[in-house]
Amino acid sequence: MRIAVEAWMEDPLRRFIDDSRVRLVLLLETSGRVLAQHGFTRSIEVMSACALAAAIHASAAEIGRQLDGNPFTALHHPGTSRQVFLGELPTARGAYVLLTVFDDSSSIGLVKLYFTELGARLAAAAPAVAATAPAPSFIDFESDLNRNLAKLFGRI
Amino acid sequence: MMKSPYAELLAVLSRHRGVVGSFVVSERDGIAIDSNVQIGVHAEAVAALAASLHRKARLACGAAGCGQVTFLRLDAERGGICAAGRDDLVLVTISEARANIGLLRVEMMRAAKALT
Repeated sequence: MRIAVEAWMEDPLRRFIDDSRVRLVLLLETSGRVLAQHGFTRSIEVMSACALAAAIHASAAEIGRQLDGNPFTALHHPGTSRQVFLGELPTARGAYVLLTVFDDSSSIGLVKLYFTELGARLAAAAPAVAATAPAPSFIDFESDLNRNLAKLFGRI
Repeated sequence: MMKSPYAELLAVLSRHRGVVGSFVVSERDGIAIDSNVQIGVHAEAVAALAASLHRKARLACGAAGCGQVTFLRLDAERGGICAAGRDDLVLVTISEARANIGLLRVEMMRAAKALT
């Protein structure tokens, strides 16, 4: 089954998943639109996780701006058995957000290491974006989100 | 800037012939707590991977009924990596092929006992 909406993302993401041994992965735009997922079984979970990840990313960035003058671009939350890492990946197509959940099979050091490699691979693989690409409207957002979820869960 | 409690220990290890880097790493997090490395050593990557290696060796020894891992040595074409752990902390060294591993092992075992 495909894990990404666009083919050029597949290889870098699969390598990240294999190397870092993470359990769940979500790649999304900063708006919350899903681009890739691994480990989720239901589209509703992906939709919720994307909305939350986008909100956390936006909040962390704003806190960073207010405290430090620069947005915070990575966040790590260690739980008792599972940990969450959320980080921003700049590409030619704009910033993407990666949300990943891992357990004792991995570590934050490994996740950060392979996250950096993923960023470099995605930046290298990203096709050039059309300079005149319009910003998506709310109606487009909804339909794009649903189309992406349908692609990821094999419905189209 | 204040020195970490491991700075002197790492400096002693790094003075050994052929040692190009030494770290104290958290095994759970894979993050270097302190390091003493030469320019060109990718400290964060080595720390994360060596901690993962030590953890797997500890689990393998536990599963095999061998008890605690005391010393881990990985030989490669142009050098090697050694690790000695205590609780969650792992002492890691990167060495060139010319390093005296026997002497380094003795020093690392002694230093690992001092890790808290």
